Amino acid sequence: MRSFLHNLNQERIVFLLFLAIFVAFSVILPGFLNANNLVLLLQGISVLGILGVGLCVVVIGRGIDLSMVATMALSVAWALQLNIDGMNLYLALAIGLGGAVLVGLANGALIAYAEIPPLFATLASGACVYGFGRLALIHSDLVYVTPAVGDLTLLGQGRFLSIPMPVIVFAVIAVIVGLVLRYTKFGRFTYAVGDNYATARVSGVPVRHVILGQYVLTSTVAFVAGITQAMAVSSMNTRISDTLLIYEVILVVVLGGVGLSGGRGGVRNVIVGTLLIGTFLNGMTILDVQYTTQNAIKALILLIAIIADTLVNPRDEQTAQHGDI
Amino acid sequence: MKRYWKNKVRELCGRSAKLGLAAAVTVSAAVLSTGTANAQDGLNDPTLQPYFDTFKGKKVGYVPFSMSFDLAQGWLAGMQNQADELGYEIITRDPNWNTDVGSQAMNQLINEKPDIIVYMNPDLQSYARILKKAQAAGIHLVAVNLKSVFPTHYIGEDWQQNGVEEAKYIVEKCGAGSGRSGKVSIMQGILTSAASAYQLYGVMSVLNEHPEIEVVSNQSANWDASKAHEITQTVLQQNPDLCGVIGFWDGMDIGAGAAVKEANLAEPVYVVTSGGGAKEAACDKLMDGTYSAYINYDVRRMAADINSVIKILLQSELPADMKTFLLPTPAEILTKDNITASSCWTMADFE
Amino acid sequence: MNESAANAATEAGNVASADPKGSTGEALVRFRYKWIPTHIFGELLSKPWIDNIVPATILLLVVAYFGSTVPNFFLHGNVMDGTRQIGELGFVVIGMMFVVVGGGIDLSVGSNFALGNILALALTNVFGLPVPVVFVAVVATCSFIGLINGILVGYFKLRAFLTTLVMLIGLRALVDTILLKYALTISAGYYDDDFWYFIGDGSVLGMPTSLALFLVMAVAMHMVLSRTRLGWHIMAVGGSRRSAHNAGISLNRTVCISYVICGSFVGVSAFFYAARLGNGGSYPGVGLEVLALTAVIVGGISLGGGRGSVVKAVIGTMIVQIISLGVVQAGLLSGAGQLVLGLILLAAIGFNVRWVKNQDKVLSRVYMSPTYFDLPAAPSTAQEADSPYASNDRLGDVEVIGLDQVDGAEDIVFDSSDNLFCGDRRGNIMRFDAPDYDTGRVFAHIGGHPLGMAVDDKDRIVVCVGGMGLYRVDQSANVEKLTDETNRSLFAIIDDSRLRLTDDCDIAPDGRIFFSEATIRFDMSSWPSDALESRASGRIVCYDPKRDITRTVARGLTFPNGITLSFDGQSILFAESWACRISRYWIEGPKAGKIERVVENLPGYPDNINRASDGTYWLALMGMRSPALDLALRVPGFRKRMSQEISNDEWLYPNLNTGCIVRFTEDGQIIESLWDKSGENHPMITSMREHKGRLYIGGIFNNRIGSLKLKSGDPNWTGPASYWGKA
Repeated sequence: MRSFLHNLNQERIVFLLFLAIFVAFSVILPGFLNANNLVLLLQGISVLGILGVGLCVVVIGRGIDLSMVATMALSVAWALQLNIDGMNLYLALAIGLGGAVLVGLANGALIAYAEIPPLFATLASGACVYGFGRLALIHSDLVYVTPAVGDLTLLGQGRFLSIPMPVIVFAVIAVIVGLVLRYTKFGRFTYAVGDNYATARVSGVPVRHVILGQYVLTSTVAFVAGITQAMAVSSMNTRISDTLLIYEVILVVVLGGVGLSGGRGGVRNVIVGTLLIGTFLNGMTILDVQYTTQNAIKALILLIAIIADTLVNPRDEQTAQHGDI
Repeated sequence: MKRYWKNKVRELCGRSAKLGLAAAVTVSAAVLSTGTANAQDGLNDPTLQPYFDTFKGKKVGYVPFSMSFDLAQGWLAGMQNQADELGYEIITRDPNWNTDVGSQAMNQLINEKPDIIVYMNPDLQSYARILKKAQAAGIHLVAVNLKSVFPTHYIGEDWQQNGVEEAKYIVEKCGAGSGRSGKVSIMQGILTSAASAYQLYGVMSVLNEHPEIEVVSNQSANWDASKAHEITQTVLQQNPDLCGVIGFWDGMDIGAGAAVKEANLAEPVYVVTSGGGAKEAACDKLMDGTYSAYINYDVRRMAADINSVIKILLQSELPADMKTFLLPTPAEILTKDNITASSCWTMADFE
Repeated sequence: MNESAANAATEAGNVASADPKGSTGEALVRFRYKWIPTHIFGELLSKPWIDNIVPATILLLVVAYFGSTVPNFFLHGNVMDGTRQIGELGFVVIGMMFVVVGGGIDLSVGSNFALGNILALALTNVFGLPVPVVFVAVVATCSFIGLINGILVGYFKLRAFLTTLVMLIGLRALVDTILLKYALTISAGYYDDDFWYFIGDGSVLGMPTSLALFLVMAVAMHMVLSRTRLGWHIMAVGGSRRSAHNAGISLNRTVCISYVICGSFVGVSAFFYAARLGNGGSYPGVGLEVLALTAVIVGGISLGGGRGSVVKAVIGTMIVQIISLGVVQAGLLSGAGQLVLGLILLAAIGFNVRWVKNQDKVLSRVYMSPTYFDLPAAPSTAQEADSPYASNDRLGDVEVIGLDQVDGAEDIVFDSSDNLFCGDRRGNIMRFDAPDYDTGRVFAHIGGHPLGMAVDDKDRIVVCVGGMGLYRVDQSANVEKLTDETNRSLFAIIDDSRLRLTDDCDIAPDGRIFFSEATIRFDMSSWPSDALESRASGRIVCYDPKRDITRTVARGLTFPNGITLSFDGQSILFAESWACRISRYWIEGPKAGKIERVVENLPGYPDNINRASDGTYWLALMGMRSPALDLALRVPGFRKRMSQEISNDEWLYPNLNTGCIVRFTEDGQIIESLWDKSGENHPMITSMREHKGRLYIGGIFNNRIGSLKLKSGDPNWTGPASYWGKA
């Protein structure tokens, strides 16, 4: 028992919570434990999951990207708008992706070279991205997907081997990012930078380039998530930049055990966190519970997860890094 | 319609200028050589010049809840056309979905003392205090699309009636005699928003009279398409025999429609929604089957009503605290079968 | 002098050769350094409030921009509305500032605000409670939410970001639930109360109510943060959690309190908001956390804690509020506001980060500001020269007292019982008992570095303690602080009220103590910087024990050092080290308050002056001049570059390796000099004291006291007797 408690970390706590909720729903909700419903459960969280996988890269690197949702919304909306205004679809998509990459580069440069704390840099860049995009790139908040996009809609609405495409996109992105983090030099450097920036630097890690790369990767993933979402619901509402979505993404990432202080966790943790949220949302929808009540319950569960982690792994005043918030 | 008025007014303007010139010539001629018949010169309408003079230097404030959605842009385009023709000024403020900024904008406008403020309430209460202050400052207030607890003139949608129409459509398709399950899902907007609450009341008042209709889901998607998508998917999964989805706003229900299309069920699921009838939001989506029916409160019509009210109020000497009036915009049900080329509007209609 | 200094000296020669003495070029240099006070830039930069200059400049630019481009921007009604909202937002920003300074973050302010707002409306509209009760209830509720945050973050040590994030979501859900049930009841209610309207729409002294209360609270909170224990604890915890923990500050409680403060301020803000708008909708407070955070950052408050002030919070609030108002009023489209705020945020934080990182570097480059100083060629000290300064070996056979028992006896003094006292750089006053002065013991511990000393009529030792001020030790070794501050100069930028480098003192017949402070621009350890500047930044201060007041009597002296009372008691003689001269300051008589030169162009840097038994004065030269440095003094730009480009141990500055003792008469005639040519027993001299026919010698870097039998000294003469007429 003692060693079991000792081995409890955030990921395991959340996984246990997930199992508990899953079992509970399976028992009390007739339509829950059903292959189709489980697929839908996955589909419901796939965009959130893609965003989470993208965000975990910068979080592992001891950063954060509050501009991620704005980047997602505006780059995709811009691409759609260009397409509506008559540009070739693929060129428009390439320009949208280019915009996202540019935002990533700007974030990375602000953080790595101007040495602005990530929280502030991306808070500001998120406002700039939304403001500039809304002002200059698109005409109204809501940009519709027109028939001109053709088969691209399958990315959101199609199925492959009877699995919805968004789930497949989520899986592909998770595998790619997981492999990058685990097996590439860039991935290992990301952990090094997140764990201890100064040590990584004096060890010869090109820390600034690595940070730049992290934010570009995150923005790119955001663009993919945006395209998937836009195709699924035939539109892109840029007002999601102003909602709590970015906070939900952060929670999904952190909940699974990717430490905000960097260097810990991986794609697996994000998937665990996403599953918890997804199961919860799916069950609540079946139960026909209003979102205000859902949010209250969700906040309670999240709080329990955070408190449990802190109680099991208490903070040590002598070894805690300064400036962690 | 719009174009007609535009031309008509332009014609009037041109004619009045000519008439003015003619009148000046006539008077001077009359002074020089007493008595020339004015039979050839026609008759000057003495009310026309004062009519145009009334509008000179007048200011109309316009505070939508945000400038970045189709309705607000359509209204402004219509208002701007008339303002340009009659020579009064429109001062636009864009709160961008933020009540605090909206309150600031309203306050600033009051300080600048326009003659009329055309505004859109974010909810029933937010502007109530400010509206009272504005009325006390002698400013006529015209609410569009959502009333406030403080009574002002109102132009726009009758939300409750909207809900009634939507429910009636669904009852017709899914109710007794349709041979369907009668299962219906309701997709609300932000729960605390009055537009959503009024529509819900309208919907429920109809559905309560039809016990054969079963509401299997009644949730809020927070005006968010992806949330609507997710909820509808789950509802369809739990109730594959679902017959209808009642939505409260096209921008959100596009997600519900996509989920229905995606499910690709054997029996049709009827998705009914409402909105301002912009072409890409309404007609396109009706044609591609995302929606089965669309309650259209025509923005062109609302803009024309706003313009009439502005014209009347600017000419009248009525006090700002006069008895208020309502100009509900008649809603029209659009379906794939009854839409025509002019059912929906685009921004080009205002140019 | 080491090699780089020698190179630098060569370069000084090169530089100086362009402007020979008396040339127009040199006249220009002299003019520029005399009349253009560039050193004030450094002094300005060293002030803590200079951090505010960036946000303040942004604020001015923002006001200027909107004021000039937006019509009606300064319309009275608009200004009133705007400032009313500045008051409301300001409360939240100050609350957020406390949390951020304490090293945390509170994202839940928006939802907490919404809760406070809806509660205020419910209590007024539905329950019709009196306004003060409503105020207390709202503030208490919001503080309670802050307390929950505080307990979770402070005591349970949860991560602030995540915890308050969860709180943001949960509270918002709670507010929405309340709204769903009671929104209609709340908005249908009506609350007619003049006081309530006064809070929402009224004004105090022409200011909106919320702004007036906000200003009062801002001043109060400034006091709390900068002048109370709680404020210091919050700063300390934010500045370095670990150090604060190890220093015994309760992290748990301090962090918790910062969240409670934040919550209560959010409550106050919500109360005013409710009174102004009566808005029972679900929008109030949405995105407030981002707005407050933006204001905090634009104001220049660092995330991670430890740096911040109420002034910064206020400036940040004004910037954010004016931009959002201005953008709306200018009729700009959606997005423009966010874009402008985002850009300003980036600029502000970018500059702030650079500033925090480089402030010390910039300051050290800018602060040092050498000035022009022209010394005539030094008199020769060659052994064969026909000069009273000619070097000799009269100190060669000096006897040594207290070897390795003292460390840095800058000055020596005798009481009326012939006991010897000296300072020590370990902060002690050492005592060597008469008559043989064999062993020393610690007589009293003061701290700092005791420098110049004097004995008063009650045999108490008055001592200038470098870094601390003027102290007095009586015969029972009781230490008493006489003064450590003087009157602040009216136009001084740096705070010159604290005494930084009190150097030497002497006591007038009426008991007034005159003492020198070598410089107000540098601390004791940085005296080489002051030497390199050679700027007249020292002063003479008088402490009057009868009235217990301290007043600066003479300013603008170049490193005033030794001080002694003239035999007639009418004036004091003081040495200005870098100016190589002795001056007289009249304390009595018709010339009282005037300064006149006594000895000029000394061959070295004068330190302490003391009376000799025959009516003349002893003077210690702590180091000798070098031609290179003399030349460099005429080329301030060169010295500036030296200070910036090479490390300070390689600077060209007065050497204190070897010096001598000179004796001069009342009218400034040099009579003799005493040298230690071999440099074995006592080469480094900062003071000397004649006592019963012997001369006792001190040196600030020495581990000993020297003692020399004087050929001509009066064997019965003692200092106390000369001053106070005692035997």
